[in-house]
Amino acid sequence: MERQWVKLKVNGKERQLFIKPNELLLNVLRDELGLMGAKYGCGLGECAACTVLVNGQPMLACLILAVTMEGQEITTVEGMGDYDRLHPLQQSFLDHGAVQCGFCTPGMLLTAQALLAENPDPSEEEIRDYLRGNLCRCTGYAAIVRAVKEVKHPA
Amino acid sequence: MDFQVIGKVLPRKDGIAKVCGQETYPSDVVVPHMLYGVTLRSPYPHAEILRVDTSAAEAMGAVCVTPDDVPEVIYNERTVSIPEKTYCDRRVLPRRARHVGEAIVAVAAETEEIAFKAMQAIKVEYKVLPPVLDLERAMAPGAPALYEEIYLGDQKIAVENNVACERIITVGDPEGAFARADYIVEREYELPRVYHHQMETKTAVCRPEPNGGITVWATTQTIHNVRQLLGRIFSLPLSKVNVKKLAIGGSFGSSIQMNSIIPICVALALKAKRPVKMATSREDDVYDHTKFPARIRLKVGVKKDGTIVAADMRALVDIGAHQINSYPLLGCMAGWYASLYKWGDFRYEGRAVYTNKVPACAMQGYGNPQVNFAVESHMDLIATECGFDPVKFRLKNYVGVGDEFWGQGPTVKSIIKSCGVEEMLQKGAEMIGWGQRRPPREKTGRYRRGIGMARGFHTSGTGGPKPGEVIDYSSATIKINEDGTVDVMTPVMDLGGGTGEAAVKVAAEVLKVPYERVELSRVDTKTTGYDVCTHATRGVYCGCGAVYHVAQQVKQKLFEYAGRILEENPGDLELAYAAEKGVTIIHAKGFKQKQITIGEVARLAQIYSWGTIAATDSLRQKNCPPCFVAHFVEVEVDTWTGIVRVPRAILLSDSGTPINPDMVAGQLIGSLSRGLGYALYEETEYDLESGKLKCNGFITDNKIPTVCEMPRLADIQVYFAHTYEPTGPFGAKGIGEAALNSVASALNNAIYNAIGIRFYRTPITPERVLAALEGGDRDGN
Repeated sequence: MERQWVKLKVNGKERQLFIKPNELLLNVLRDELGLMGAKYGCGLGECAACTVLVNGQPMLACLILAVTMEGQEITTVEGMGDYDRLHPLQQSFLDHGAVQCGFCTPGMLLTAQALLAENPDPSEEEIRDYLRGNLCRCTGYAAIVRAVKEVKHPA
Repeated sequence: MDFQVIGKVLPRKDGIAKVCGQETYPSDVVVPHMLYGVTLRSPYPHAEILRVDTSAAEAMGAVCVTPDDVPEVIYNERTVSIPEKTYCDRRVLPRRARHVGEAIVAVAAETEEIAFKAMQAIKVEYKVLPPVLDLERAMAPGAPALYEEIYLGDQKIAVENNVACERIITVGDPEGAFARADYIVEREYELPRVYHHQMETKTAVCRPEPNGGITVWATTQTIHNVRQLLGRIFSLPLSKVNVKKLAIGGSFGSSIQMNSIIPICVALALKAKRPVKMATSREDDVYDHTKFPARIRLKVGVKKDGTIVAADMRALVDIGAHQINSYPLLGCMAGWYASLYKWGDFRYEGRAVYTNKVPACAMQGYGNPQVNFAVESHMDLIATECGFDPVKFRLKNYVGVGDEFWGQGPTVKSIIKSCGVEEMLQKGAEMIGWGQRRPPREKTGRYRRGIGMARGFHTSGTGGPKPGEVIDYSSATIKINEDGTVDVMTPVMDLGGGTGEAAVKVAAEVLKVPYERVELSRVDTKTTGYDVCTHATRGVYCGCGAVYHVAQQVKQKLFEYAGRILEENPGDLELAYAAEKGVTIIHAKGFKQKQITIGEVARLAQIYSWGTIAATDSLRQKNCPPCFVAHFVEVEVDTWTGIVRVPRAILLSDSGTPINPDMVAGQLIGSLSRGLGYALYEETEYDLESGKLKCNGFITDNKIPTVCEMPRLADIQVYFAHTYEPTGPFGAKGIGEAALNSVASALNNAIYNAIGIRFYRTPITPERVLAALEGGDRDGN
């Protein structure tokens, strides 16, 4: 298959990629750009460990062909914050014990970020409803819901 | 007790890396010049492999490994038991496929795409054999045999009627005791095949080294056992086998053994003379391991006053195509049963049976959720039939302080020294409103609510006064750096539950150093002493027990050097944390002015060329204290749809001193979710015609609970019993597996209280609830 040029923005930076049309966004992010935050969990769109934001909307990178991302703006967990400047949600996940094995964490954080962009003060019911597609086998979700509910917004 | 860091909620040491996407899991490992490996898997449940033609794949540039290319070593993937109690029946790649999805041939190529295409180009000629897919039929005379012979340690043994192994244990005279019982209650319970569903699929990366050795990055709960087994299979000296410790994307027991792809990856890498990475697809992972499905028949004899006098349990376990840990499982099931209640005289018979299905391995609780479901449903049933209060009936008969606990089957036992059962049952009853509980007959209408309870436990580790059939010790290295900060090196895998953080806290507490000044080192098998495995809820009790033991030695070394500087006897010195200055000081006992900071001691020890203040040692715990739990839950059954909801759950635990209280709560709440799945939703059923899983390995058709199935935040309450385990580090026991063991039982008992129908089989799906309601049965099965 012929490679083609794709221009997109990843975590605020312009990127030009020369990729095959059958390559998945998840693999391109991980293998071409070294952004390992998005995880492979099922490849079927069932677990949401691969969630990234496309123009602010949570999307499953394991179901998207990377060539369709021409001109789009993608955010991965690496774009949320740095170790010395954590995003309030990242801090809240740490404060509330919302991380165990951590494999679902990037997807959970990005989904939660999209929720807060739509609805800055969601109820518990709204949080549950929004996160229902993101699977976690460790935590039983309670600490994650609490972390989203009690996130401290930047002043 | 007043602690500096133990019991405080502090950020996980790996937390920032995990929330930033910077933590390295095996699937994130990239090695320069590596190939990608995939496997060709059997489409048949039972077939001999007559011929493999890899020429088309090799023409595409792929490197192939067939059953003829792997060492003639027959092994068991799990090496936790002592060799003479380990049943061995597998090779790296088999000459006979024994379940659908078993890897037959492996392929490595420059890209994943080429590897897949090459794999599809391989031709395998099979001789299809009749499969054995049903547990009862497997044992019937004339059933096709999965194995003619296997090995027990080095001994070749014959396999008859597909019975992989069995254990029969009799204590006292159960027949005589049943004759004296006023009531005898007998039922059969059936527990399903459940997939672990850890979030990360199994991965292995192997790099051949110029010295003829290998470096391995792999999904595992035990770096040292992987190293030793790879050394044995590939005849490599252990000094040339290095296995790296990495984060793991969940496990729940699924990586207690050396995963099947690890030696396949090594075989590919050694043949290709290049690094190879193999990341299992989810479908292949579902076809790689499962929880032990079990049928348990239980008979209990009781006196009119509620005293239990006799019991008899018969367990039949479907282990699938290979023995991973079925023999120790049968022993452990006996132990979980023997240690729940004082049965008086009792008998146990456990039998593990081979079938042409995915091999079963440990999954959180290791036979305990299965046994607990039978026993705790049975206790409720007896209470109902004989007119006892379920809580009082349990309190009358439970095994507690001063009693013997079977921590790992009949050969690993110790005396219980701490127990919060009474406190938890009283508190749980009070919190749920047990006194106001109404019987099922008073409930009408579409939605019917019920309250149920169950209790359970798990062992903390597998140590006893006498070593038994299971290996158990751990090691640690602790080093005081030249600025007074501390490095902790532990081989113990943190499966996500916070064992790493606990190790840091234990070292910090012994050395009176702030949590922020202690870090965990990135380690591997070359830089650490042996640890058996993170299993049996032993991470904190045994792993951190070793950290505690070594930290005490480091403390003595600090005193020795400080004594030289302060001109005091080491025995006359004391450690203290000076909070106002934020430093750890060593001072003369009763004379605080004569002091020096530990950073200064370390710095001077370097300048005077005395050496590094460090220690390495191993520790074997000689007890296996049970961590107890209790679950009080409320359910709501929709009698129109059969859907069971859980509006409220009270989770109580006795883990001794909770070192990481937030993580103990996390274990309890996480286990509530997994227990919900076990009780109500999850089962990977087989199609008995094709020998394939009905879900085909796709998790689309194998649902686990989402956030929506959990009770609301305010409706989940957690309570810690006030106990102190004298043999644990700072009074701590385990929690991990215990947290799950009585969840499904409590839900079953609550469902009975809601609709007056008792289930003997999980998952209690809406279909089964409706069928039972429509059938008008009191026993819904």
